[in-house]
Amino acid sequence: MVNPSIQFEVHPSSGVPIYRQLMDQVRAMIASGQLADGDLLPSVRQMADELQVNMMTVSKAWSRLEIEGILERVRGTGMRVSSGVASGPLKERKADLKPLVEPMVTRGHQLGLTDGQILDVVKSVLRERKL
Amino acid sequence: MIEASRGAPLIEISGLMKSFGTAHVLRGVDLTIPRGSVTGLLGKNGSGKSTLLKCLLGLLKTSSGSVRILGEEPWHLSAEAKSRLGYVAQEVSLYSWMRVRQIIEYTAAFYPTWNHDFARDLARRWELPTEDRVGPMSQGQQQKLALVLALAHEPDLLILDEPVASLDPSARREFLGTLLEVTRDQRRTVLFSTHITTDLERVADHVAVLRDGKIVYHDELDDLKDSVKRLRITAERDLPSSFAVANSLRSEISGRHAMVAVSTVEPTLVEELESQWEASVTVEDLSLEEIFLEMHGDA
Repeated sequence: MVNPSIQFEVHPSSGVPIYRQLMDQVRAMIASGQLADGDLLPSVRQMADELQVNMMTVSKAWSRLEIEGILERVRGTGMRVSSGVASGPLKERKADLKPLVEPMVTRGHQLGLTDGQILDVVKSVLRERKL
Repeated sequence: MIEASRGAPLIEISGLMKSFGTAHVLRGVDLTIPRGSVTGLLGKNGSGKSTLLKCLLGLLKTSSGSVRILGEEPWHLSAEAKSRLGYVAQEVSLYSWMRVRQIIEYTAAFYPTWNHDFARDLARRWELPTEDRVGPMSQGQQQKLALVLALAHEPDLLILDEPVASLDPSARREFLGTLLEVTRDQRRTVLFSTHITTDLERVADHVAVLRDGKIVYHDELDDLKDSVKRLRITAERDLPSSFAVANSLRSEISGRHAMVAVSTVEPTLVEELESQWEASVTVEDLSLEEIFLEMHGDA
């Protein structure tokens, strides 16, 4: 069953290509627990109809998420959230990351960086990932 | 090649030139449209979009260059090729004395593949008054009628010149929705010209930009948005007037600040700028409209 509570929206005039907007929304829905392991996503056609976008766009978003291992293709049924991807609520996953961040902050302070400058470093790493 | 796996491209243009007297409108257009794509041809008013489409359809004779549509030469297009084509001109001219129902029946008679149900359905959804005469109808309604006439024989290749220019916003949205429906059949190829970027963004998967008589960009819309970015650079000290960034489309430098639009961001670019100029650099995504303006150097 497709979870009826999930709602996608697209902004065609945004600088972010529509397929990436959809990918981001799926990731956000998984992170916030709106989508759980094994949940089915709407079909390419349904999405294209509802959002009034080109089918290729939706299909591209779904396949890229499949390559990333976030979605898996179920023969004859469509796409679902891969098992293990949505493990645990957001709080737990954040807690998981914390021990890795602590030494970084400590090191930053040792180097005489301010909190803002440490955040800048994190942001620049995140930005490079996006490119 | 995608084209090879999906059959020959429906449109192949190379070195196309078209002049009217001393006015050189097209100055060597190269454009190949793959089967199944929905391509938005984007250009300013007066950039030659209509001329290009007319040369493609054999409505204008080319000055030089080669043009193939459905594998044929446009000036000598066969009846078979014509039956696989749908076209809506920018200025619609229909028999004004006919009633909507009559003109649909009249046009249907020319096409063996006419889909009567589809024509009726479109006319109903677009609220065309079937018993009214065409003449007194608004430009928007005539445009919709022309679209019905261009679509109902279910052409393989649909060419639309500024299809929504005269439609009001709701009719426009409705039409774009229909266009999406029409393009769902992936054997169908659509080429439409527009100067309105937002029309293109939902519907098109490819974009071709016509500027100064040439196609200056032709690729997937997503790739365009993924690659063209604007950098905002703030350096520790004033930037020299010679300051330049690779692949730049347009730059504005003022003191310690620079704003540069680039056609692609090399992975190391941001880091290099940061270290070379002790600068902080932010990378911004651009909408198609912004990209279009940056490409024309007048953002």
